Amino acid sequence: MTDTVHILLVDDDPAEYLIMGGIMKKVTSAEIHLHFCETIEAALAFIQSGKPASVILMDNRLQPQCDFRETVPALRQQGFIGPIGVISSSLADPYFQKFEDYGADFRIDKAELDPTAIEFILREYVTKT
Amino acid sequence: MANLLTNHRRYHLDSDLEKALNRVDFFRIFHTMSLRHGFDHFGILQLGNEGDACMLSHRLVLHDLPSGLAEEYDKRHRFGDSVVFKTLHRSVIPSIWKADDPHLGNGSNLLAQLGFDMLICVPVTGINGARYAVLFLGDCEEIAKPAHFELCYDALCAFDYFYRLVLSNKAGLGLTPRETEILRWISHGKTASEIALIVSVSEHTVNSHTATILKKLDVVNRTQMVAKAIREQIIQ
Repeated sequence: MTDTVHILLVDDDPAEYLIMGGIMKKVTSAEIHLHFCETIEAALAFIQSGKPASVILMDNRLQPQCDFRETVPALRQQGFIGPIGVISSSLADPYFQKFEDYGADFRIDKAELDPTAIEFILREYVTKT
Repeated sequence: MANLLTNHRRYHLDSDLEKALNRVDFFRIFHTMSLRHGFDHFGILQLGNEGDACMLSHRLVLHDLPSGLAEEYDKRHRFGDSVVFKTLHRSVIPSIWKADDPHLGNGSNLLAQLGFDMLICVPVTGINGARYAVLFLGDCEEIAKPAHFELCYDALCAFDYFYRLVLSNKAGLGLTPRETEILRWISHGKTASEIALIVSVSEHTVNSHTATILKKLDVVNRTQMVAKAIREQIIQ
C-alpha cells in the first residue's frame, strides 16, 4: 500500500506548480497530493486552516521582496513544525549557509528536484517522523 | 571546512563540498556526481566485518536507489554472500563490475540481482579508519580511464567531507548554542514537538540536534544526557 503525502509548494510562479506536478507524478514510492500557494499569506492561511502538509517546499524569493529569511520564520511562527525545504534556482548566495538558523530543514536547487530527489526527501523527512 | 588546509582543497575550494551542511546537501553532491559520470544511482555502504550477518538496506548510509529496491533485494538475497561485498574486504583498489562478469557467479551476482549493468566501487575510509565504499550503479557500458580516475577522486573527497560532517562520532566536541538551547528545553521536560514550536524549527531538526548531542556527550538516552550535562555544568 502506498502512503499518501501532502506537499505544499509556495511559489509565485504558477508554471512551477505545473512543472512540480509533473515531477511528483513520477514518484512511485508515495501518492503525492501537491498543494499550491502563490503568496506567503496564502501559505499561512493554509496552515492555519489545518489542512495537512507533510512537507513545505518554499521558493526562496517571493515577489515583491520576501526571501526565505522572512517566509520560513513566518511559517514557524504559525506553528508549523514539519519539514521545510527552500528551493531556488541559485543556492550561491552566502545567506543560504544559514538556512538552518531560519528554521529551514534543507535547501535544493530547482534543477536538482527530480523524482529521485523527492523520494530521498520523503525518506529522510516524512517516513522517519 | 575549517580543519582542512588548502593543500587538501586544491580542486574543491569553491565547490558545493565546502558549503555542505546536512544529509540533503551530500545527497545532492553524490547524486549530481553520479549523473555527471553517466551513472543512474549512488550508494554509500558501511562495510563492517565480513563475517557479520548483513543486509544491503542496513548498510547503506546514504543512497538514491529507487525506494524499496534494497529492501526487496534483502528479501530475496543475502548481501553477505555477494562477490562484490566479499571483495570489498580483500582489497581497497577501486573496482569495476559488469552484470555479465564471469567472476560474479550465479547466486551472488549483485548487479543482476539489482537490475543494473555496471557498478563502480570506490573503497573509502573515515578519519578513524572506519571502512565504507561509494558505489555507482547504472546501465552504461564502459568508463574511460581518466573519467574513472576523476570519479574515484571526487568520491573520495566527497566522502571525506560527508564522514567528518555527518557520520563521525563527535564525542567530546563542544555543543553549539542551538544544541545547548535544545538540551536546556529537554531538561525542562519538553517533547520534541514542543521544542520545535518554541525554537521555531521542525521536529525533524530537533530530533537531529538531539542525536548529535547524544553523540557529543557520549550518552545513550535523554535521561543520561541531562544528567551528564548537569554534572559537567553545561546546563544548571
